[in-house]
Amino acid sequence: MQAMAELWGRGGKDFAAAQQNLFFGMAKAAGQKGASGALPASILDTEGLTQANQAFGKLWSSAIELSQTISRNMQGGETHDPIVAGLLGKIFDPRAWFSGTDGMDQALQRMAEGPRLADLWDTERKMLTLFNAWTALRRCSLEHNTVMLEAWLQAAGKFAKNLNEKADRMEALGSWRELLALWVETANTALLETQRSEAYLKSQRKILMASTDLRLAQQEIATFYSEMFGYPTREELDDVHRTVTELRRELRALQRMSRQAPVKVDTPPETSPKRTRKQSNPRRSASS
Amino acid sequence: MTSSGAPIRIKPDQAIAEAAALGEKIARGAALFSKLHDDDVAIATTPKDEVWRQDKVSLHHYRPLADKKVVTPVLIVYGLIGRYTMADLQEDRSLVRNLLNLGVDLYVVDWGNPSRADRWLTLDDYIDGYLADCVEAIRERHGIDKVSLLGICEGGVFTTCYAALHPQTVKSIVLTITPIDFHGDTVENRLGHGFINLWTRSLTPDDVDRLIEAYGNLPGEFMGSVFSQMTPMRTLMKYNLDLLEVVDDDKKFLNFLRMEKWIADRPHHPGEAAKQWLKDLYQDNKLIKNAFMINGRQVDLRNLTMPVLNVFAKDDHIIPPATSQALGAKVGTRDYTELALPGGHVGVFVGGKSQALLGSGIAKWLAGRE
Repeated sequence: MQAMAELWGRGGKDFAAAQQNLFFGMAKAAGQKGASGALPASILDTEGLTQANQAFGKLWSSAIELSQTISRNMQGGETHDPIVAGLLGKIFDPRAWFSGTDGMDQALQRMAEGPRLADLWDTERKMLTLFNAWTALRRCSLEHNTVMLEAWLQAAGKFAKNLNEKADRMEALGSWRELLALWVETANTALLETQRSEAYLKSQRKILMASTDLRLAQQEIATFYSEMFGYPTREELDDVHRTVTELRRELRALQRMSRQAPVKVDTPPETSPKRTRKQSNPRRSASS
Repeated sequence: MTSSGAPIRIKPDQAIAEAAALGEKIARGAALFSKLHDDDVAIATTPKDEVWRQDKVSLHHYRPLADKKVVTPVLIVYGLIGRYTMADLQEDRSLVRNLLNLGVDLYVVDWGNPSRADRWLTLDDYIDGYLADCVEAIRERHGIDKVSLLGICEGGVFTTCYAALHPQTVKSIVLTITPIDFHGDTVENRLGHGFINLWTRSLTPDDVDRLIEAYGNLPGEFMGSVFSQMTPMRTLMKYNLDLLEVVDDDKKFLNFLRMEKWIADRPHHPGEAAKQWLKDLYQDNKLIKNAFMINGRQVDLRNLTMPVLNVFAKDDHIIPPATSQALGAKVGTRDYTELALPGGHVGVFVGGKSQALLGSGIAKWLAGRE
């Protein structure tokens, strides 16, 4: 649960970090004041954001180009072997850094779910399942953060647009508090819209399921060592708790039945008056 | 306006003044914080006595604060998500105190702190077991046939189910911020409202089963994170900007801390009961369809033949109003009243205006049904 909470929270932290960067940028820009002492309007306009996007795009293109160059160079400039080119392309594809380690996952999956030969490699198999679950969680987390990043970009774009529209209407924000309020409102709307999107719900579900799988894989390891050293396993404890719950349920039902049953009149009152009273009101009461 | 039409006009001297004021605020806040003790932020302080206990569940009777004006005792039933202490957050923001001051005889059930050992408890256990026993205990104590129930959120669903199954023991029911039609969020489809409904429907029943298999229960901190997502920017700003707003005001600062104390106290929801809550109710919407089963018995809303007061918050983002209001068309009584209050899910209990209206509205309605 803690791992899941951390990963879930990471999206929020990244978002907060992105916000800090935005305001750091603003603060830095504020230092370059104009003649009137006011912030220049161009600092937070859509054009600036578009440029930032273009810079990111350029970086991304550079990364792709670099990966292709490396792939080509690794083949020593010889005639392209499609199999080798494909392999190297995958190895140096920067997208793998974002979307996780599919190839490795599949290999681990095959090992984890491959044919079992008695107890051979059984422990290793459990460990691999655990590692597999961990990498899956990492991948899902990255995918979710990508959705969050997109939301942030949308929010920042709308924010700049809002500022431009205010400038067109000759309106002005007189304090940092007003500026911040506008950002909070804009970002909140963008985030809430994102939360209703298919992409968000899907990526969040995947994180939840991946963290659940990881937890179950961890429990399997714990069970293995508990059995090895003679400690009760989670499953055994759950069994005991289930039994206790069922027994308590039966006890409550019996107590209820005994409360509703009429008190026997043929019991001589002098034999056991206390017991009769107790039977008629077996409820455990702090006031009694 | 500047001649260039710049949207931001923050002068350096103004920025310096703002920074200085902020520094002073933080210093005053730090001084206040250093003087605080845990008792200063105590919640749920209205005096009460434990009168019954079984397993982890306990029943408490509040000591009266005024002459009795509503004779039939009222049992407050909170859910398993969060704790009843929200109804008694602090002396001047307490539904409990407001009702006691208006002469209502009040009880409250505390579900305790369910752990993994309570994984196998079902909604049947809570509604037809513990809650039924609490009602029975009150009836015995007062020598009466019927009690009134005041359900809050998930506790409102418990109240609804219990009253539909045992109408002969219930004088009247008051439901507050209670979901009945779990797909009612789609009626208004307001942005930021009904995320839990949407999120739960994005899961499959198997997902829910595996979640409970892995954790044994629905962890309190997990539900906390879902609630935080519903107000994303507020969650991010809460411990910096929001706190700064109140840090130099003793009263507001203590209010903030008490609310945080309540939020932090989020018990785990027993696993099997959570499965029913998420799958039968949130996903399959069985309650409004009269298809929800407790101990093999159908919960038929037409059996709600007693007077019903249904209170909802107009801006409730967790339980959108339509999810509560759907009850009106389903009950088996003509004495059905709705009370719409301003504010959100928690605000209706602790907000300055709503909490006063809530207490007086409930007390007046109850008195009219004596």
